[in-house]
Amino acid sequence: MEAKYDFEKKYREQILQCSRCGFCQSVCPVYGATLRPALNARGKMLLLKEVMDGKIELGKELIDSLFQCTTCASCANNCPSGVNVPEIIKQVRKDMVNIGSCHPAFAGMNEVLQKATNIYAEDELPDFDRKRDQKAAYVYFIGCVGAYREDEATEGALDLLDRLSVDYTLISEVCCSGVLEDVGYSLNPKLASQNLERIFATGAKTVITGCPYCYRTFTQRQEYDELRKRGITVLHISQFLKDLDFGVTTDKKVTYHDPCDLGRHCGIYEEPRATIRKIAPDFVEMQHHHADSLCCGAGGGVRGAYAKNSLAMARRRLKEAEDTGAEILLTECNSCVHNLANAKLRKQNIKIYNTTAFINELMHRKAKDK
Amino acid sequence: MEIQGYTLPDELYYEENHYWVKEEGDLLVMGMDDFAQKMAGEIVFVQLPEEGKELTAGKKFAKIESGKWLGKVFAPVNGELAAVNEELETNPGLINSDCYGKGWIYKIKPSDKGEVANLIHGKEAVEKWVLAEIEKYAKE
Amino acid sequence: MDEKLKNGLIGIVGAENYSEDLIDMVSYSYDASQHSARPLCVVWPQDAEQVSRLMVFANETHVPVIPRGAGTGLSGMAVPIKGGIVLDLSHMNKILMISIEDRLAIVEPGVVYANLEKGLAAYGFFFPPDPASGKVSTLGGNVATNAGGVKGAKYGTTRDYVLALQVVLPDGRVMRTGSRAMKSVSGYDLTRLFVGSEGTLGVVTEITLKINPRPTATSTASATFGNLEDAGRAVSQIMYSGIIPSVLEILGKETILAINKNTDLNLPEVEAMLLAETDGYTKGETEYQMAKVTEVFARNNALEIKQAKSDEEAINLWKARKSAYAVLARIKTHFVLEDVTVPMGKVADLLKGIEAISRKHDIQIATFGHAGDGNLHPQILYDGYNPEDVKKMEAASADLFALAISLHGTLTGEHGIGLSKAPFMTLEHDPAAMNVMRSLKRMFDPNNILNPGKMALDDAEASFSEAGIKS
Repeated sequence: MEAKYDFEKKYREQILQCSRCGFCQSVCPVYGATLRPALNARGKMLLLKEVMDGKIELGKELIDSLFQCTTCASCANNCPSGVNVPEIIKQVRKDMVNIGSCHPAFAGMNEVLQKATNIYAEDELPDFDRKRDQKAAYVYFIGCVGAYREDEATEGALDLLDRLSVDYTLISEVCCSGVLEDVGYSLNPKLASQNLERIFATGAKTVITGCPYCYRTFTQRQEYDELRKRGITVLHISQFLKDLDFGVTTDKKVTYHDPCDLGRHCGIYEEPRATIRKIAPDFVEMQHHHADSLCCGAGGGVRGAYAKNSLAMARRRLKEAEDTGAEILLTECNSCVHNLANAKLRKQNIKIYNTTAFINELMHRKAKDK
Repeated sequence: MEIQGYTLPDELYYEENHYWVKEEGDLLVMGMDDFAQKMAGEIVFVQLPEEGKELTAGKKFAKIESGKWLGKVFAPVNGELAAVNEELETNPGLINSDCYGKGWIYKIKPSDKGEVANLIHGKEAVEKWVLAEIEKYAKE
Repeated sequence: MDEKLKNGLIGIVGAENYSEDLIDMVSYSYDASQHSARPLCVVWPQDAEQVSRLMVFANETHVPVIPRGAGTGLSGMAVPIKGGIVLDLSHMNKILMISIEDRLAIVEPGVVYANLEKGLAAYGFFFPPDPASGKVSTLGGNVATNAGGVKGAKYGTTRDYVLALQVVLPDGRVMRTGSRAMKSVSGYDLTRLFVGSEGTLGVVTEITLKINPRPTATSTASATFGNLEDAGRAVSQIMYSGIIPSVLEILGKETILAINKNTDLNLPEVEAMLLAETDGYTKGETEYQMAKVTEVFARNNALEIKQAKSDEEAINLWKARKSAYAVLARIKTHFVLEDVTVPMGKVADLLKGIEAISRKHDIQIATFGHAGDGNLHPQILYDGYNPEDVKKMEAASADLFALAISLHGTLTGEHGIGLSKAPFMTLEHDPAAMNVMRSLKRMFDPNNILNPGKMALDDAEASFSEAGIKS
């Protein structure tokens, strides 16, 4: 039987390798929040197997399963049969877009990025009272979530960089558009070249970003290869901060949430912890940490397309944080902060920060006390 | 009244960013109107600040989010936040399904109840305003 | 979908706990076996009362009901072969009580085994069976299949720990069996009838389990052998050591190779390997026991015997063992995992016999399993899209079962009969036994609506062909 879709051409063997053991159910955040087998990795592979066998059609009826995945890769990490579900899902989504069966939220996102500079179709890029496009040693790239949804977190990061006297500039950034690759579309080369142009214009040798997703896009996507070719280093802010000293500490109990895009997808686990241990000696891990970290539920477009379930996933992660007895939950991703903060109930006392914003807060209080 | 499919009860006062206000004893109840709820789509998160928070008329005091939109909530009068609808923490969709009833959002203790007179009120005024808003959004 | 049926179900569980969406129907067509069949719909009951009302309704309308936990069964017990309503118990997932004084835990059927273990660990207790699927499988499923696991030889299986049940009968009546007392011989042992009944006699809605204090010390060792026979004999002679190891597992060469491909363990690539664990409360105690066990290995030509040096090393060894069947699934497009079990003294013969069957039918059979209680897991690997291969698999399976029975063994030690082994029931059970089983089924479920078509309980002959998908 001739393979009809790209996902089958590329991944047929892997899909057949799925032994239906169901071990993925124990780690899938979507299954954990919904208890619906159709939404977990095994359920998705069963759908694809039936499509390959000609038993069902690839079409609209499958959207709620195939587009409801945060691509956190916990399943792939735990699959004894070697099935890389997130990679397969991303390819299936492209096939579905090709046949016109896409989730409306993602079709919308692609359309928005054809005309606008960011995924929210906001008109004005907030400037955080700072100049853009200056000459500097570093570029600080904010990312869409940080710029338009988590302005407080971004303020904190920028204030911190100022306190540390870092020679950085903001740029007239546009969406890195990496997310489109995850939701069935393709990275927007026009937007990519706009970002590259503006980065090069600053003369900076290093790009620092607070967004793990942008970090991934800049370091792994070929559209941003020019950065490497020109010897420009890309750092996530946690990598930048790990060797610096801040002169502040807190005696509160602190825990850390590994963002999927920083941890499982990029292998950056220790740098954020090195920084946290400097400022918070009373540091505890949650039940699931490092490569076993539990996804906050925002990724893969799920916060936009399936907000209720996305927040339910965030609540599960918050419970783990609370179970440690920690007063402060730190992370290094604006998207995680956004989802976790939205999901937090008023009666829950834990406070959620990006590490950078938290350090800035401590330094601000110290300066005030003087 | 009904204007082109949007329901806007006559007795309410309206803040220009599409929040309604009504008197309830000494307090004012506030919510989102039908026009905004329809434009925004399914509400997924509404910020519920601490009771006692100071409110300055015209100043933003909270955020509200749907799948595709982030909105600011502006205080309609000067005063203090007296209560919030905690149901919205786990069921923000009430704002869509019952924006004038179960989907109420905030209760305010106003410094001067008379300030509601600054809001849009009365059939004529409301109709004029809504028609203008419909036109404005149709252009976008 | 019949509107009356749909409305009746929604009336009981609510619209948010009912689905006939395609994505759900596909998921619920499968478990971890090779069988599949489409259900009509799924419901997620929230409590025993809803389960009871559902059974009454199903009986009135003569629609099959298939209870389901995590769907990790290996023999097709949860596959809706006659269509009908899947009853997914996973929403009933509360641990109702843990009483250390009474040495018991009471759980709803949807509690995941690993979550119960986590709850008990806080008290220094555990629930011994430890099935390989424990991270995912639910207690309801464990009870329905009398789940075994790696601790079977020393600690027994699920059945040995079920003190009492609350069951909803096929006609909707709610019934309690057993007692919270640690032992009881009051009336017939109804509890034992339901454990292992694969969801064909009633739906379990509450389980009272005996729990054990957890031994705090363990020793882990591995031994390699130049051929399966030596390893088999070592297993058969283990009783002469005077020690019952808490775990005794065997890995055949294919299994070892597959594990090495999937992990960094770098196990020695030999013909056979035994993994053993002894447990107790002091290292002195566990090492004394292990020395006796490894003596038996040495007497049976073990090439090399190694003790695990750290807890982490031991954990990795067990993790590798528990994922063996899923790891082997990488080799061919399809597989069938058997769990034939024989008396301990016959393990060597069973291993030899499996090798012979593999050669006879020219088909790949990887072997691993709970050597400690004679329960091997021969895994037949084949290309399911090639009809020749499928025939070979069927013939090899039949030979495997015949071999096990001839060695005074059983078709299944722990995976259950379900659909996979139904055609072979009469190999193991005499006509009187089959008649009694079918009569019991008819007494409990006169309309044959609760998980019909399983275990050769229906009068019609079961056939071995792949179940078709009903839309």
